[in-house]
Amino acid sequence: MRVLIYALLIFFLVISLLPTFLMFSTAFVPEGDLFNRTIEKIMSDFEAPRTVLLMRVRPIGKTFELVKEDQNSFARLDSAKGVKGLAFSIGSSDINRLSHVVFKLRSSSTLRMVVSFKDIKENVERFAEIVIDPTPSWKTMRVDVEAKKMKLDVLHVSQLRMEIEGDGILDIDDVTLVNRYPTLYNFVKILREDYFGRYLLNSTIVSVCSVLGNLFFCSLVAYAFARKQFRMKELLFSLVLSTMMIPPQVTIIPTFILMRKLNLINTYWALILPNLVTPFGIFLMRQYFEQLPTELDQAARMDGAGDFRIFWNILLPLSKPALSVLGINTFVLTWNDVFYPLILTTSREMRTVQIGLALYQKLNVFTWPTLMAASTIAGLPIIIVFLIFEKRIISGILEGAIKS
Amino acid sequence: MPPVLRGENVKRKEKITTFVFILPWLVSFCIFVLYPIVFSICVSMTDYSGLTWDMRFVGFSNYARAFKDRVFLKALSNTLLFVLITVPATTMISLLLAVLLTSGIKFKRLFQAGYFLPSVISMVVISMIWLYIYSATGPLNTLLRSLGFDVPARSWLASERTALGSIMVMDVWSAVGYYTVLFVAGLQSLPLQLYEAAKIDGATKWQIFKRITLPLLKPTILFVVSINSIRSFQIFTEIFTLTGGGPANSTQTIVHYLYDVSFRKFEMGYGSAIAYVLFFIVLAITVIQRKILKGEQL
Repeated sequence: MRVLIYALLIFFLVISLLPTFLMFSTAFVPEGDLFNRTIEKIMSDFEAPRTVLLMRVRPIGKTFELVKEDQNSFARLDSAKGVKGLAFSIGSSDINRLSHVVFKLRSSSTLRMVVSFKDIKENVERFAEIVIDPTPSWKTMRVDVEAKKMKLDVLHVSQLRMEIEGDGILDIDDVTLVNRYPTLYNFVKILREDYFGRYLLNSTIVSVCSVLGNLFFCSLVAYAFARKQFRMKELLFSLVLSTMMIPPQVTIIPTFILMRKLNLINTYWALILPNLVTPFGIFLMRQYFEQLPTELDQAARMDGAGDFRIFWNILLPLSKPALSVLGINTFVLTWNDVFYPLILTTSREMRTVQIGLALYQKLNVFTWPTLMAASTIAGLPIIIVFLIFEKRIISGILEGAIKS
Repeated sequence: MPPVLRGENVKRKEKITTFVFILPWLVSFCIFVLYPIVFSICVSMTDYSGLTWDMRFVGFSNYARAFKDRVFLKALSNTLLFVLITVPATTMISLLLAVLLTSGIKFKRLFQAGYFLPSVISMVVISMIWLYIYSATGPLNTLLRSLGFDVPARSWLASERTALGSIMVMDVWSAVGYYTVLFVAGLQSLPLQLYEAAKIDGATKWQIFKRITLPLLKPTILFVVSINSIRSFQIFTEIFTLTGGGPANSTQTIVHYLYDVSFRKFEMGYGSAIAYVLFFIVLAITVIQRKILKGEQL
């Protein structure tokens, strides 16, 4: 029985965590997806017929010779016949993800080989020079690529070039480009190509302002509901609670019209103002204030303190647990909000990270690793907040639930 | 100075202070709740577009139009189907998890945090993850193929038959942890004496669960079902990011249609009417829940 319970619990745990794990692990894949990773890209193994090969591999100088030996084909570059090298076309590729180039060779005499890339603007940059000693058997060579140090247009590279200097015969086979794995480049790409840095900044500004606003204003209002006596207090408070029930979709159209009238569309104000005082915050803080002893305020009042002094100097410092619950929950809710930011912003510069992510997927041609990297950027801050403040977040939810 | 007057002064000052303290809420309530609600109901009876200020009073014809609009009816039936399937599924799975979690196991908090994690991740991020999982060459199809199933090479979200169901599965996955936490709290607040007594009487575990736990947990279950229904009636983000209501309106929902009508086709009068239909549905759920709860307590 025990075993069965644990088995079930672990089964559900795996289901519950697996998708998030997939997101993280795919974000570090260079190309393809987690189950179909393209870590190696074979430029040529010279097995194809010559006519097909020539579409991808161009000779530099005179044409190369295709040799077949023990069911294995390779290219033979004979300097006596005027062959200077090979050029492999790679379309228009981003070589930032590349780690190194691997190929097999054997040569009859000492030769020098220059490896270079050419971009779509025909700039050529050499990144390695190797001296090849004569070897009778195949030898695997590895040449590292450091795209960061290159001056040519590394985002649009069209050719990998291998040129030989010196006299002799050189055989080449299995030329392969190898990607870095795991790579952080997907994140770099997302931050550079789209405005994800800006989106993160927007989300942070909006969330932090909403948190501060909620902490201050909700406790201010809650103080009145907890400590002051006034007419229609209970009626007003039930009004506060009932606004929690109103679906945000009912108020969005008038809010949008209002914001447009005030010229606040595409400003931080439009995103912050509607979230500044939330009924949940008022409710939470009132509950907390009410269970603090009133003797404290009475003593302060004897000393001549006014309401604001009592609120600011006595009640607030005592309410740190409730304030942190409110702060963290507000942060999570504002960070994850979609409906309001989607409608109240139209320009790219003002999108929050959630909207940025949703529209990145809708408007761009993306690959799974880059999309998962973008999702990680949008999701990770909340996951970190959750891992640190798990207890506070859950107690905030329970507080909210008790109201019923 | 007569003391009465001083008292009056103090009273007035008190009133002003109280007013100042409540002011932030009052302002926010008037601008972002009261004005929108009143304005919406007015707009819903006009043909206001949202682009110009021209509007004509059209009475209830926007509401009548909604119930003749085939796309809206499709959206309504999709949303109802969504609620009717996901809410019971989520409730049952989370209740099961909560019962397992409170059965005196080790690492309870660790498990609970693990189940809860998906509910703090934003819906957009969750949608992106599942977009990948459901994609033509994605993890789900890879898994099914390796198990020997012959699955077509297309995304689960691209077919009319599977799109809504796929979104439902995703929704249940993302919501279960949240309600598990509520159920765990509910289960822990139940009186232990009853359980002791039942054990002494020789009741089996299933009997205890059926006769004691379930009836006592009814308020929590009711609460979970009603807030989950309210939330599910408002489903928007996953539809917006994953399918945009397609293919062929098979995943169109009330709120997504409201968005389409108001902010893409710019028929805000009609959009407001749809918003009010949604509002009344939510109101009805709340009222029913309250009624049932009150009936229980009497």
